[in-house]
Amino acid sequence: MSSKTNTVYLNLSEITEVHEKDVFVKDVATVYCSDTNIRNKCECVKVKHITGERCECYVESALDVIEKLEAVDPSVSVTNIGKVEYIIDYQPPMRPRYLWQWVKTLFVCVICFCGAAFAIMTFNNDANVRDVFQELYWLITGEEAQGTTILELTYSIGLALGIVVFFNHFAKWKLSTDPTPLEVEMRLYEDNISKTLIQNDGRKEQGIDIQ
Amino acid sequence: METIVGICQLPWWQLTAMGLLGLSAGGVIAAGVFAFLAIIGVFPRLMGKTGTKRILLYETLIILGGILGNVSDLYEIPIRIGGNVVLGIFGMASGIFVGCLVMSLAETLKALPVINRRIRLAVGLQYVILSVALGKLVGSLVYFVKGMCV
Repeated sequence: MSSKTNTVYLNLSEITEVHEKDVFVKDVATVYCSDTNIRNKCECVKVKHITGERCECYVESALDVIEKLEAVDPSVSVTNIGKVEYIIDYQPPMRPRYLWQWVKTLFVCVICFCGAAFAIMTFNNDANVRDVFQELYWLITGEEAQGTTILELTYSIGLALGIVVFFNHFAKWKLSTDPTPLEVEMRLYEDNISKTLIQNDGRKEQGIDIQ
Repeated sequence: METIVGICQLPWWQLTAMGLLGLSAGGVIAAGVFAFLAIIGVFPRLMGKTGTKRILLYETLIILGGILGNVSDLYEIPIRIGGNVVLGIFGMASGIFVGCLVMSLAETLKALPVINRRIRLAVGLQYVILSVALGKLVGSLVYFVKGMCV
């Protein structure tokens, strides 16, 4: 056995989507080793062979990967700088169904549009925005408002500005390079999903548990 | 039209005061209402469920919906297209939206697990959720049919 040790740094991603049945280290992680030869060998180690045909999430442990990597070469010593448990999200290869994707997108679009319209209408009704504006008009001008006033006009403009500033963009035109609030929420949601998957896997054997 | 006539008749300082009031009210309300919609988690769930991730497109639609909904609500602009079909689509879509919204609210989302632990519910969480949904359906129907809305 050689006395020289090659430290292999292993950085596993929390969740990886794969389409092939054979999953290799290079699919789920980035590997670094000062010896390029060892690095290439490590990247081509198979971590899992998926037997099922359906879409499924497999929760795997970094320990298994470390074990397999150390078996590559006696000089290898693995340092894990990524996740301890990681998820392989297997989706069987199939031809993309664009029509169905667009139907779903249209569905979400309709809900987004109507939901936002409905939400602001219910808010206006709930908070009696109209009456408040009449009151304000009377306070400032001393006269009763006839129909809609400048308040409604500027309120609508202000609302539009507020929404665009909040969401940070309109269509393709962006105010700044920050991610938009929904992008942030989407990432948080996906993080929570991964965390829940990993935690569910860890507590399968308990009697009373969420089913 | 009458708005513009009305605006021209007022002294400038009253116009400035009301203009500023309206602008800032709109801005603050927009931030409040839409921040609530964005963080409540309805849209990420819809995107996650359908597996479509055109976030920018959806946000644009939310922006348009908010702006147009507000304008048509305040100015009562008649649309007059599609009749019952458009109404049906709008009703269904806002129904789905509100359904997701009420179930995302903390009262239901956080209360269910607590009840679960208290009574040591081991199986059948899906039936509990189904019952919640059916209860909402029946409650909504009773509310509208019996005319509990004034």
